[in-house]
Amino acid sequence: MNICSLIVHTKPTLGPQVSDRLQTFQGVEVHGGSEEDKLIVTVEDKGETVSPVSDTMNALRDVEGVVSTILIYHYGGEESMEEMNREIN
Amino acid sequence: MKLTRREFIKSNAVAAAASVAGVTLPVTKAAAADADDGIRWDKAACRYCGTGCSVLMGVKDGKVVACQGDPDAPVNKGLNCIKGYFLPKILYGEDRLTKPLLRKTNGKYDKNGKFEAVSWDEAFKTMAEKWIAARKAKGPKGIGMFGSGQWTVWEGYAASKLLKAGFRSNSLEPNARHCMASAVGAFMRGFGIDEPMGCYDDLEHADVFVLWGANMAEMHPILWSRLTDTRLTKPGCEVHVLSTYEHRCYELADNGMVFEPQTDLAILNYIANYIIQNKAYNKEFIDKHVNFTKTPTDIGYGLRATDPREKAAKNRNKGKLSKISFEEYAKSVEPYTLEHASKLSKVPKDKLLKLAKVYADPNKKVSSYWTMGFNQHTRGVWVNGLCYNVHLLMGKIAEPGNSPFSLTGQPSACGTAREVGTFTHRLPADLVTKKDAHCKFAEKTWQLPAGTIPRANGKTDGADQTDISGKPMGKTLIHAVAMHRALKDSKMNCFWVMCNNNMQAAANMNDESYPGWRNPDNFIAVSDPYPTVSAQAADLILPTAMWIEKEGAYGNAERRTQFWREQVAAPGESKSDVWQLMEFSKYVKVEDVWPADLIAKKPEYAGKTLYDVLYANGQVDKFPVEQVTDSRGNKYDNHESADFGFYVQKGLFEEYRLFNSVKGIPKKGHEMAPFEAYHKVRGLRWPVIDGKETLWRFREGYDPHVAKGEGVKFYGKPDGKANIITAPYEPAAEPPDKEFDLWLCTGRVLEHWHSGSMTRRVPELYRAVPDAVIYMNPKDAKKRRLRNGALAKISSRRGEIVCKIDTKGRNKPPEGLVFVPWFDAGRLINKLTLDQTDPLSKETDYKKCAVKISRA
Repeated sequence: MNICSLIVHTKPTLGPQVSDRLQTFQGVEVHGGSEEDKLIVTVEDKGETVSPVSDTMNALRDVEGVVSTILIYHYGGEESMEEMNREIN
Repeated sequence: MKLTRREFIKSNAVAAAASVAGVTLPVTKAAAADADDGIRWDKAACRYCGTGCSVLMGVKDGKVVACQGDPDAPVNKGLNCIKGYFLPKILYGEDRLTKPLLRKTNGKYDKNGKFEAVSWDEAFKTMAEKWIAARKAKGPKGIGMFGSGQWTVWEGYAASKLLKAGFRSNSLEPNARHCMASAVGAFMRGFGIDEPMGCYDDLEHADVFVLWGANMAEMHPILWSRLTDTRLTKPGCEVHVLSTYEHRCYELADNGMVFEPQTDLAILNYIANYIIQNKAYNKEFIDKHVNFTKTPTDIGYGLRATDPREKAAKNRNKGKLSKISFEEYAKSVEPYTLEHASKLSKVPKDKLLKLAKVYADPNKKVSSYWTMGFNQHTRGVWVNGLCYNVHLLMGKIAEPGNSPFSLTGQPSACGTAREVGTFTHRLPADLVTKKDAHCKFAEKTWQLPAGTIPRANGKTDGADQTDISGKPMGKTLIHAVAMHRALKDSKMNCFWVMCNNNMQAAANMNDESYPGWRNPDNFIAVSDPYPTVSAQAADLILPTAMWIEKEGAYGNAERRTQFWREQVAAPGESKSDVWQLMEFSKYVKVEDVWPADLIAKKPEYAGKTLYDVLYANGQVDKFPVEQVTDSRGNKYDNHESADFGFYVQKGLFEEYRLFNSVKGIPKKGHEMAPFEAYHKVRGLRWPVIDGKETLWRFREGYDPHVAKGEGVKFYGKPDGKANIITAPYEPAAEPPDKEFDLWLCTGRVLEHWHSGSMTRRVPELYRAVPDAVIYMNPKDAKKRRLRNGALAKISSRRGEIVCKIDTKGRNKPPEGLVFVPWFDAGRLINKLTLDQTDPLSKETDYKKCAVKISRA
């Protein structure tokens, strides 16, 4: 399981638009910061053997209006999906 | 609402990012972050590059599970790069080595045998026998150790003692020879003391940034994000980027320039000429603080002496400076007009002029950054110096924002390789083996008989030093590239490679490295956590505890020394480098390596092991084992202290401080704080005096070594003045010709660090960039009837590999040049590179050799 948080800097005033574009990626959520043009973004996987998160993060860099992406936090523990599901239920 | 574990972790991740960005989020999202997630967080210096980011490592149940940028760290201010994000995973690659492995046939060591698991005792017994025999038979160069700018400070220190004092051999080199030696050479020639005068704070103070052969966006992403922030928020801020191919930094560049390889020499001389012609130089500054000098020219390319290019060189390897006048200096750069520089470099005139103008403008603060483009250069010391010339002419140096800054590629190239001095010619704290007085000081500090440490020329007080063989010691220095040549020529028979992957990293693998390692006369040991290309080419593999599996210290590019505690235990029987160095020393007796007349000077050492003499000397072992505890009461193991019975790291560090932080030392300016201080802070930048760090050196008000009223003082030199050193443009060793018609430049990519021995074991990073590719200009590809993605054969006079062509990727070379990264163990680009070096610094030039490419 991988959960990462990033700061995505956007071009001036494009925060809201870029936010919409980012949300179309699987596993990506924007939690705020569109007014400041500094989006607080999480990227996560569903526990695949080879996680797609680094591909996703690379892809975010190329989204129109993105100036830079900076990683802040990464959780990479080995929790099984079963354990996760149990907690959720 | 009860949070699920996933949501809980996610809210922590979000809170961390929001706090770094200064963004306020709805309350519900932030609240969870205060709760206890069962993870123990503690600081560490990142394992990778020389930036020296502090990361918080999260440990749960004895395993690293998470990591985040350290919000309290002045270097990275909570930020983290993609490699940093995968840090927890570098410890847990599936093929982690856990037992010593020795090549054997029928139960006995055999160079052609298969690897079998052995005990540490058998490993070291076998190794010691080989080392003692080679040391006796072949002299001080008969053995060799190749260490690392990734060694912790005390590992480098323990290695320096073992080789120089114990084995009486200067055959100790770090892989930093391949990456920083040219920078060191220029610092010593220009300023008489190593490492940058400025610091990362310049990233916020400068008005103009100039990158010279540094792809900061990929290689130093955190510094790049600080630079980007300044560029986007400071009115009038400009970024100038120079390289031999277009890379990601060009996206932000106000003035992007692609120049013909080697012509950086001409461009810098043009800027100096422009400053002089326009009388823009700071006369008061140069009158007071600068000497003008010249260096011998036509010095060769560091190839074997038999090479025609070496025979043709008039002043092979020469570098002695001679004083000249300002007028003579001005005349020496006069030929470098705008037209001449533009013609040589192929950079349009208006761009060069724009660049020269920012340096020449007294009201603009300029910070220049460079890495391997300058250092891995057959004129590396020269080109580093030419950049200092420009800054010195303007007096734009050693103050906030005005900063010529040599960036580092490895986490402790500065802290360990350079400051401890694990080079063949060096001793701790900038002392050198060519100075008898420096060696005597080291012998006194280490409680050794006078004459123990081999002098560069093998003489002390004018008389020959006697070797174990009874013969005179002779000349003792041998640099990294020469080591591989000596192995091939059977002059060196034992080689210990620690904390690096030199079979993959060294140039000209086919002609020099591989034949040297597999030479039947030689015994090669490799210490590594993973079965790297080097480990597989060795005779003995020693499994190694890495990074936060031991208590450690690194020193970054801005002179910042940072400590961390042991976070987790190493797997199986693996042991840290410092443990291996000290434990191995128990297998060698003083009589095995010292002649009788030397022992007679200190009879109490007779019959003792090197361990007794070097580490159990009453100085290193004087601090008892203690429970390592952080300020929150968390407790940490320390396996080395438990095994040796004293606080190993503290003892080594405090003895090291006798070289840099007590009265009566030969060279001031490297002062460090006591051991304990570093565990409490996010690093301190030396010189540290009375607990205070130094941000800008040589400048009154910032540097405690500059007295009131002195203003600026380059105190590394006896007269307090820095050297402007004139040097011309000279061509590269192997430019493209009719057959080999392309330049080859090698280097790194963001996702992989160095040879990939760690990052290629992280599935996500592997997947992101699995293989090395040939970055090529689409026109060059078309000429060879190659499409993007096609397989192609790339070959030089020395070897060939097959790679895919990439004409649309992140690096965009001009026509006539290709770029291939070196991380890929399956596509070893160093089969092609030439073992050319800067004749002064002995650093390899990996950026320029001739290749051809055809369809595979």
